[in-house]
Amino acid sequence: MSTIDENRYLRRRILNAFNLTLAFATVAFALFFLAWILWTLLVNGIGHVNLGTFTQMTPPPGSKGGLLNAIVGSLYMVGMATLIGTPVGVMAGTYLAEFGRAGWLAPTTRFINDILLSAPSIVIGLFVYELVVHRMGHFSGWAGALALALIVLPVVVRTTENMLQLVPNSLREAASALGAPQWKVVVMVSYRAAKAGMLTGILLAVARISGETAPLLFTSLNNQFWSNDLNGPMSSLAVIIFQFAMSPYEDWHHLAWSGALLITLFVLGMNILARSIFHKGSHE
Amino acid sequence: MTELHLTAPHLMHPEYQQENSMSVPNKITVKDLNFYYGNFHALKNINLGIPDNHVTAFIGPSGCGKSTLLRTFNRMYQLYPKQVAKGEIILDGDNVLDAKQDLNLLRAKVGMVFQKPTPFPMSIYDNIAFGIKLYDNLKKTDMDDRVEWALQKAALWNEVKDKLHQTGTSLSGGQQQRLCIARGIAVRPEVLLLDEPCSALDPISTARIEELIHELKSDYTILIVTHNMQQAARVSDYTAYMYLGEMIEFDITDKMFTKPSRRETEDYITGKFG
Repeated sequence: MSTIDENRYLRRRILNAFNLTLAFATVAFALFFLAWILWTLLVNGIGHVNLGTFTQMTPPPGSKGGLLNAIVGSLYMVGMATLIGTPVGVMAGTYLAEFGRAGWLAPTTRFINDILLSAPSIVIGLFVYELVVHRMGHFSGWAGALALALIVLPVVVRTTENMLQLVPNSLREAASALGAPQWKVVVMVSYRAAKAGMLTGILLAVARISGETAPLLFTSLNNQFWSNDLNGPMSSLAVIIFQFAMSPYEDWHHLAWSGALLITLFVLGMNILARSIFHKGSHE
Repeated sequence: MTELHLTAPHLMHPEYQQENSMSVPNKITVKDLNFYYGNFHALKNINLGIPDNHVTAFIGPSGCGKSTLLRTFNRMYQLYPKQVAKGEIILDGDNVLDAKQDLNLLRAKVGMVFQKPTPFPMSIYDNIAFGIKLYDNLKKTDMDDRVEWALQKAALWNEVKDKLHQTGTSLSGGQQQRLCIARGIAVRPEVLLLDEPCSALDPISTARIEELIHELKSDYTILIVTHNMQQAARVSDYTAYMYLGEMIEFDITDKMFTKPSRRETEDYITGKFG
């Protein structure tokens, strides 16, 4: 025979309601600013996005133009950075999760990778400036791609390792029990099982670098004209936004808003794609 | 005579000698096996002879070391750095624990099925073909035949023959476990290690797998770890009772369950303990 202590129960309910309210308030606070940012971008940007934005070059002040060279430059450098950073990151992450179980190398690498992960991007820009731009004697798209690759790298290393660690050991044991050498276990079984998560990590890394500005200022600089030569200075959306938004010209402001909107939509799209891939992968 | 010497002393019983030594040679002989998880001494001086083409069951309370013992036969423990086995496990005349033993070849010869079904994230067909491709370079038609053969053997063919290219994870738990058995058989091992293969399954799937064990034992030496004593009694020819890392008793299953020679075994089997 047990009776309920009414006071105790009431106190618990009040506490519950209080904490729940607090939690909702925090979410609302965060979402409010996110919605505000998106709204501002839409209001200021959408009116100036038209066909010309995608077909014309960045103009001198006072004349009409678009963002074509900046969009292409961004695509080139983000693409190259992903191509450089992803294989290295996947391999390093694989080492950490699958091979480096004993010894000092893996913990050390993990530690350094965490530092790289939180390194300010401007420091990475300076590093590449010193390493590439200074030696080559000029700014270049390659230097920009390399700086971005250094940002992609730790993200991919981390997500690859985490996703591989989620693969149950029983699966590895089962593959080893058939007499499969370790590399085959990794490639045929672990990678397949972690595929969705690893791909998600890469997409999030791409989203992360598409808005990076600081490392590009020191490396690819900018280019007012059409260029698909990675050996020379190259335009990018992020740097164009920086330059145009700081300028005193009205029409440059409009282009900066359009560029900001395009980047945000691209990042949003990447995130949605990543989520849907991960979702599909985990329900297979 | 040496063979007999390696089995536990109480097996020197004249009655037993006659029955075993004359008819069944040992496939595996374990000599003074000790196993350590770091500092923990998990198996203590195990001596044992496992008869060829028969089913040997390992029973005992949780933590007694039966799974640990099973995992030494294919050196599965070696995936983990701090696990060490000392002693000898002689399989067809060669010491499995020898540092020179090629692990992948050993595991191709000594197959294993685990407690939980572990289908690979690929199609049913590829789940079977995965292991075969490691050691055989078969033509497409031969591969198809081998996959069918393995699935037939594991009594799964009729249920999956129309959906071989669906993912293995789409099957039910019992089907997944039979898929894992088929996968193990497909590489044509000589020894099959079953680590509580039915513990995650319903009674009907369990019955099918037990039937399967019965059929397979003419071709394979089967070692099974089980928590279920009725299962040990049903499927095995020989039973080993382990407790706290020691081999307490090993004998013909019928004798173990009717007239065990050790008091501890009787207590465990009759449920007074464990």
